[in-house]
Amino acid sequence: MKLKRTKLLVEPPASATSDIAFILIVFFLVCASVEPDQGRAQTLPRSEPEPKKDKQSQNIEVELTRDAVIMNGNPLPKESFAKTIILKLADKTRDEDRIVAVKSRKEVPYSHWMDITGIIEDAGGVITLQLEEEQTVQVQ
Amino acid sequence: MIVKRRQMDASVPAMAMGDIAFLLLIFFVILARARDDSHLQWKPATGVKLVRPATMNASVVIDKYNVTHLNGREVPVSSLSEELKVILGENAAGRRTVILKVHHEVTAIYFEPVIEAISEAGGELHHILEEDKQR
Repeated sequence: MKLKRTKLLVEPPASATSDIAFILIVFFLVCASVEPDQGRAQTLPRSEPEPKKDKQSQNIEVELTRDAVIMNGNPLPKESFAKTIILKLADKTRDEDRIVAVKSRKEVPYSHWMDITGIIEDAGGVITLQLEEEQTVQVQ
Repeated sequence: MIVKRRQMDASVPAMAMGDIAFLLLIFFVILARARDDSHLQWKPATGVKLVRPATMNASVVIDKYNVTHLNGREVPVSSLSEELKVILGENAAGRRTVILKVHHEVTAIYFEPVIEAISEAGGELHHILEEDKQR
């Protein structure tokens, strides 16, 4: 007597592809939305190679070290710096009087720099960067 | 005489789902590739009152190895200003946004020349930060 062999299913289950598609879409959407895209706009005046010294002396000068702030030569903790700069800028109405020259030492981390420049901008200050220009001197 | 109504087949063609999945995959892969600085390693600094930039004309990243990238491509800081001028062209104000992504531990010796270059090229700087939930 011959026994009939049952036929095996060789076709892939097509109904599962929609589930796979859905899971892949969710995966790519999650991957795409992880990157941060929020932040803070900052207006900086165009750089001038030779700053006018007579104007600069009237402006507030802020020097940043790794974890401290020095305003016009006086070291200040972060909390009192915020209060002091608000008071200093309060009576200044013209944009050119509200300029705050920020000078950073080379070891200042970005997070500290952003904190302090944020405080200055919130107080109404206009930030300018004071950079040390590199000069090559040939020794004969 | 009663005529039997023919039954209509209302099943969704499941075989087409595979093709739809494939096309969607290609779409998302291309979308992911367009954001071509996503492979760079950096952790943002924190901040408050953050806003999304209205436009994005160029992207500058300083990664955790202090390397500067313009639109995902490594560039020397000395040529950054010139390259940005080419990208920004004669765009009007409001369409010159340069987003700056700096690793939070990068020091001033690396990020200040980059900020200066963006300013020199006439870019409108927008720092990318992470919301500080503790403040």
